[in-house]
Amino acid sequence: MAYFIVQILPYIAVTIFGLGLLFRLVRWAGARLLGTSHEITLAPFPQSPFQAGWVFLREIAFFRNVFFFDPSLWVGAWPMHMALFMVLGGHAVGFYFTGHQFVYIGMSPELSEYMSNLLGSVFGLVLLLGLIYLLVRKVSLVKTRQVSNPSDYLHLIFLIAIVTVGDIMRYFPQYGMHYEEVYEYFKALILLQPVPEFVFHNWFFITHMLLVQCLMIYFPFSKLLHLFGMFAMRWIENRVHIDPEPGLPGVDVAAARARGTGLPSAGGTA
Amino acid sequence: MPEYKGMAQPVKATVEDLKKLRLVPVPDEKKVEEAIRLLDEARKKFRSFVLAMESCVKCGLCAENCHAYLGTRDPHNIPTNRAELIRKVYKRYFTLEGRWFGKLVGAEDLTLDTLEQWYSYFYQCTECRRCGSVCPFGIDTCEVTMIARQILYWLGMVPKLHVGGGWGIERVGNQTNVAKPAIVDTLEFLSEEIKDEFGVDVRFPVDEEADILYVPSSADYMLNPYTLMGAAMFFTYIGAKWTIPSFMSEAGNFGLLFDQRHLMRHLFMRLHDSAVNLGVKKIVWGECGHGWRAWKMYLPYFVDRPLRWEITHLHDEVAYYIRTNQLKLDPTRNSQPVTLHDPCNYVRACSPAGPYGHTENMRTIIRAVTVDFREMYPNREKNFCCGGGSAVLFDDPEMYQKRIQFSQTKADQIRATGVGKDGNGILCAPCSICKAQFYPMVEEHELGVTVHGLIDLVGKALVWK
Repeated sequence: MAYFIVQILPYIAVTIFGLGLLFRLVRWAGARLLGTSHEITLAPFPQSPFQAGWVFLREIAFFRNVFFFDPSLWVGAWPMHMALFMVLGGHAVGFYFTGHQFVYIGMSPELSEYMSNLLGSVFGLVLLLGLIYLLVRKVSLVKTRQVSNPSDYLHLIFLIAIVTVGDIMRYFPQYGMHYEEVYEYFKALILLQPVPEFVFHNWFFITHMLLVQCLMIYFPFSKLLHLFGMFAMRWIENRVHIDPEPGLPGVDVAAARARGTGLPSAGGTA
Repeated sequence: MPEYKGMAQPVKATVEDLKKLRLVPVPDEKKVEEAIRLLDEARKKFRSFVLAMESCVKCGLCAENCHAYLGTRDPHNIPTNRAELIRKVYKRYFTLEGRWFGKLVGAEDLTLDTLEQWYSYFYQCTECRRCGSVCPFGIDTCEVTMIARQILYWLGMVPKLHVGGGWGIERVGNQTNVAKPAIVDTLEFLSEEIKDEFGVDVRFPVDEEADILYVPSSADYMLNPYTLMGAAMFFTYIGAKWTIPSFMSEAGNFGLLFDQRHLMRHLFMRLHDSAVNLGVKKIVWGECGHGWRAWKMYLPYFVDRPLRWEITHLHDEVAYYIRTNQLKLDPTRNSQPVTLHDPCNYVRACSPAGPYGHTENMRTIIRAVTVDFREMYPNREKNFCCGGGSAVLFDDPEMYQKRIQFSQTKADQIRATGVGKDGNGILCAPCSICKAQFYPMVEEHELGVTVHGLIDLVGKALVWK
């Protein structure tokens, strides 16, 4: 079982994840873009590509709409997503550089590893708390209960499970895996070689891997693809639109007022 | 049929009504099958629809930002839940997760009851797009409503009110069914009114060769005469050579609201042909929100011949002449406290950002022609709908009650400005549907205001000598 999870399943999971994403994006792209049959530009109408980019950026980086229109959602959603990006980035960078990534900005290897551990611990915790907050909110508010299907709760519970196992490995080093070990493991996977023996002895790692791979398999077929959805939707809506110039043909207001159009003495219209 | 299994519904068009539009209703036993086929067609065509079906995370942000939900507290009026009425069917028939894990992801078979539910709730959505503009992902539930209404129409499920408008468009070129002799009569009467009230000679040229084609809302002939009078006074004041086309006497476009194929295009071609026949150089649009969206955003892509004229809105033109100091205006003639209701279609669907966009142009005008202008909050693109958008102007008792509920948020906004405190306030609502909704609603909510268009106020403030 463990062998399947850490040696075989990763290839299956990555394949389904990749093909699934492709399937979903092709499916979206296959639907004719509405902007070619009419414009559904939505306020604010950007006046230049720069402004359109700003609309995208402020929603992605700051969750502007959530902040202004549902601050209590923002309190959970924004930190959660930012922590998620940091944690994902941390996984990639931390394992690739075996914790020594900050050496490149002038830190000693020891300090770099310490920083890597610290950031991982902080963002891991923020991520967990953010997810729990969102789950509690979903369960406790009438409106969110009214709009949610069972799968909407399960997504959150599943993510909480992944992060909980990850945090246990982070906060209790005896259950964790060191940077070099993970590096070795992934190197073996990528080079299509047998994975190192020590991996089979860490059940927290195996559980974490199993859950993450399950997520990868169902991710392309779920609402979790909303990041891509936002780009696709805003690509249609936040478009540059310039109005024609005002000013009416054949009109000279000063001359008309001098003639006194409309005044009874002038005898009617133009 | 004002109610179906506890759901309020607008009165449906009969088979005879539909016959006037040459639409044959689908028999009940074939409706489900046909609806699935049409849904399949829509999802392959409209990306905005697919994204609305597949990208929502159910965060619930849209709930408190929809006037229909705020007014009724009906869970199906939460925008994402309204879309869910289609999404659950979409999932069931067009997604892997829906086919394999139906209940888990909320997928459901389509039934006749579901179609009745669509009919009830997609005619409670006013297509105001507020949910789309506050959605973190920009999911435009209005697109879902539009597709639902189109499918329902093809099945033969459409309000009598809307079909009546559609029939008027085909018959005489406007949805209030006013033929040319009545238009000419009315305009002559309005000419006399202007003479009596303002002491100026203003003529309404109909079907004359001119530089400018002005298209008023047909409701202005009967319900909002001051808007039409204001526009005529403005054109006369600036010495424009203008005309009103009797062949296309409608700024609105009911096609946008339930049939974006034949009906919407039909009216587009009427405009095109009028512009060719009268040799005009520019087309100027009257006060109509949904209509302006149709003509501004859809027409260039839908009309069957190349469009050779620029089309602008009257507000944009008036604001231009105010900014360039070409109009002499006396704001004291509109001395009552005034607040402005931003029509959703102007501010969310049509107005460029910046000081010269429609949204700010309305403010340029209202500040120039009134002395006590008070903003309501939230305003501009964050404004709430009047509750009558997309012609949800049904008079049958059940739907009328809904209209009162839909306008509750707006009534609270107006009350908070204090303009109606002494009973002499003005609610400026420069859109025909907004006006039609507000005329009874300001009474229902006892707001102490009278309803006016923006051009009404301009006409009154013009100083002729």
